[in-house]
Amino acid sequence: MKQISTKNCTHDDLMVNDAKIDVRKLNVWFGDNHVLKDINLKIREKTVTAIMGPSGCGKTTLIRSINRMNDLINGSRTLGEVYIDGYNIYERNTNVYELRRKIGMVFQKPNPFPKSIYENVAFGPKIHKMARGKELDDIVEKSLKEAALWDEVKDRLHNSAFSLSGGQQQRLCIARALAVKPEIILMDEPCSSLDPTATARIEALLRRLSEKYTVVIVTHNLQQAARVSDFTAFLYMGKLVEYGDTKRVFENPQSELTEKYITGEFG
Amino acid sequence: MSRLIDTGLEQLASMLSHMGELAYKTVSFSIISCIEGTDSHEQVQNLSETLVSMADEVEDKAFELISRFQPVASDLRIIKSYMKIAYDFARYGRYALDISQIYERLGGINKCEDWIKEAIREMGEKTLSMVGVSVKSLKSHDAKLAKTLAETEKEVDTMYSRYLDRLVENAPSTNRCAILTVLVTRYLERIADHATYIGESLVYIATGERIVLR
Repeated sequence: MKQISTKNCTHDDLMVNDAKIDVRKLNVWFGDNHVLKDINLKIREKTVTAIMGPSGCGKTTLIRSINRMNDLINGSRTLGEVYIDGYNIYERNTNVYELRRKIGMVFQKPNPFPKSIYENVAFGPKIHKMARGKELDDIVEKSLKEAALWDEVKDRLHNSAFSLSGGQQQRLCIARALAVKPEIILMDEPCSSLDPTATARIEALLRRLSEKYTVVIVTHNLQQAARVSDFTAFLYMGKLVEYGDTKRVFENPQSELTEKYITGEFG
Repeated sequence: MSRLIDTGLEQLASMLSHMGELAYKTVSFSIISCIEGTDSHEQVQNLSETLVSMADEVEDKAFELISRFQPVASDLRIIKSYMKIAYDFARYGRYALDISQIYERLGGINKCEDWIKEAIREMGEKTLSMVGVSVKSLKSHDAKLAKTLAETEKEVDTMYSRYLDRLVENAPSTNRCAILTVLVTRYLERIADHATYIGESLVYIATGERIVLR
């Protein structure tokens, strides 16, 4: 009886040394609530990694640990390490503003600034003093093109960002994140308020972005995780239950909990 | 609380189970007629055609479940494997039909040498037992039983090679008997292969592992 070798990447296989993001023994508390428990996770460069799990399992807290957004929450406490390119971002002398430039974030609801389309994208490069004048125009155009929005807005760059549809606003927020030349993009349920067409555009965009950036997406939508990600992590009650190649996780999960969650037996 | 997809999966399992019974009946009819040297072509043809249309129905139902429920994990493995197994059952029917057509074209085995009659009986019984095991392990999703098909398939393969060698070494009295023996044993060997494919699908459903039982 022969065993056929298939692409069946497991959590252990992913424990590579060349991870872009390396989460080690991460624990997070909000007050007395122990939200993340001993999370170990290595995320490869230029891939899409989906984090899924039922409400309250710690998905959002996990990605907010990657750019230290949890620091902004009163009563939060973090133990453990998160390495980006081998540097522990929880070191005391970390420049958090520089860290957040390197790590763009896109939220559940599109949140453009009450400014023009142009100003939304130019905002980050301006405050980081990255460019001005023609150079800034070029960054705005390039970012809008990368976010697959340029053709739709090039003739109305100075209109209010609120004149755009929900899907366009979300792509504008992605363009805004790209404008400061990040290396990692974190997305927290980026399509939850969008219709299927807008969702499909964001998903296609996300795949393209992974050619240049490391993308981590939190999603409640299992089919979306299956469609867009290379690797999938399943969190349950603050613990990492399973992590591996997306095809393997959705076809042959190793954990019974994962099986029950993705087949809809609970969650 | 049962899930909406469960009703569809139960329907699919029931369709496939019915198909398995019919496939066994078809192969059994064909092999027994061949051993006894009688004509079963018309009945086997009807059964074989029914199996083909049932395989189409299983595929339609499977596609409906995929489009409506986007199944994953064990649900996905079941649906994917059931489609494959339905095809294997249809192939059982097709080879059974091929065997029954030999009677029409070349006549029965009654006038062939005794060793040929014995060879076809022995290989036919072994192959039919594999068809029975494949249907039984499908009904109970019994991967352990399905894995036993590997051993029986080896025996069928050995018989096939042995009979071909014997044909080469001691040519039968007529070409008709030689051709008949080559064709029938070849079709039986193919039926045995499909039994192992079904076994592989059942192991995949149970464990997610892709194994080769041949």
